[in-house]
Amino acid sequence: MTWRVVGLEARDAYFNMAMDETLLTRIKEKKSPPTIRFYRWSPSAVSIGRFQSMEGEVNVEECRKLGVDYVRRITGGGAVYHDSKGEITYSIIAPESEFPKSIRESYKVICQCVIDGLANLGIEAQFAPINDILIGSRKVSGNAQTRRGGVLLQHGTILYSLDVRRMFSVLKVSKEKISDKMIKSVEERVTSVSEHKKVSINDLYGSLLYGFTKGKEYEFGNWSQEELEKAGYLRIHLYGTRKWNFSR
Amino acid sequence: MQKTAKYKIPGGKLVEVKVEYQAEIENVEIFGDFFIHPEESIQRIEESLLGLDVKEDEETIANIIEKVVAKNNIEMIGVTPEGIAHAIVMAVVK
Repeated sequence: MTWRVVGLEARDAYFNMAMDETLLTRIKEKKSPPTIRFYRWSPSAVSIGRFQSMEGEVNVEECRKLGVDYVRRITGGGAVYHDSKGEITYSIIAPESEFPKSIRESYKVICQCVIDGLANLGIEAQFAPINDILIGSRKVSGNAQTRRGGVLLQHGTILYSLDVRRMFSVLKVSKEKISDKMIKSVEERVTSVSEHKKVSINDLYGSLLYGFTKGKEYEFGNWSQEELEKAGYLRIHLYGTRKWNFSR
Repeated sequence: MQKTAKYKIPGGKLVEVKVEYQAEIENVEIFGDFFIHPEESIQRIEESLLGLDVKEDEETIANIIEKVVAKNNIEMIGVTPEGIAHAIVMAVVK
């Protein structure tokens, strides 16, 4: 099987989520090839898990003020602040027959690609079930998976740098809690690549590319017109709507 | 009456429930950072609890959810029928 790799691009939250769903559907219909893609979120955005409450998790007012987008993902998991300069997200979408049948086991297999990528930078990271990757005891990557019609989608973020204050201003934590003490405790639980190695975000991308393609047959590709049209439709009519984003 | 409760599943994720009830449960919404596959099936779980006597114990509620899970081939990760049942009982006895 030959994978298509779509290289790092910066798109808005609604497009990013719409393209993931487009691929899930089109691979099921055998219209798109199995794909590994890398992207950044521009403008910065908050994504929430499928089962989370937008009002409960996100300071929507602050997002509007700062020009930060907010979107509900197709996948479960928690709320994530995606800084436009502070992280890289990957998605891997392919028939589920390419992966272990067990969801828990397939998290481990796909997360190993991230771990291999970080190892290429000289950073030792470990998989922490259910869906995290840690450096030491601190989280550097969160991942989420769904399966639909025999196709698996997993996406995840790898933190390049961390702005805790900004993160707290858009995620719902009461103002009183954004004390130095709280920030310290997050810094004790979360880390980023740039804390461990002086590398550029492009170096991180190169290493993740290596981690995800190692041992795979692949070629670089771009979105087809049909994919862009379908993603464009979902971007406007689903992921950009209040109905979807505030459905819980 | 509407009550909410949050419960961190040991070794799992956070589950939050919003329950509307009088003598019986009239509406339930389940929130959290867990995974349920397929995702749409959360509605089946929520619907299975409607009309339930609020005095039902945790075990009974967990059994109802477990039945829905088994019948519909639902896979739960980071959340359990017992965990959801526990949060619901926490909400209604508050």
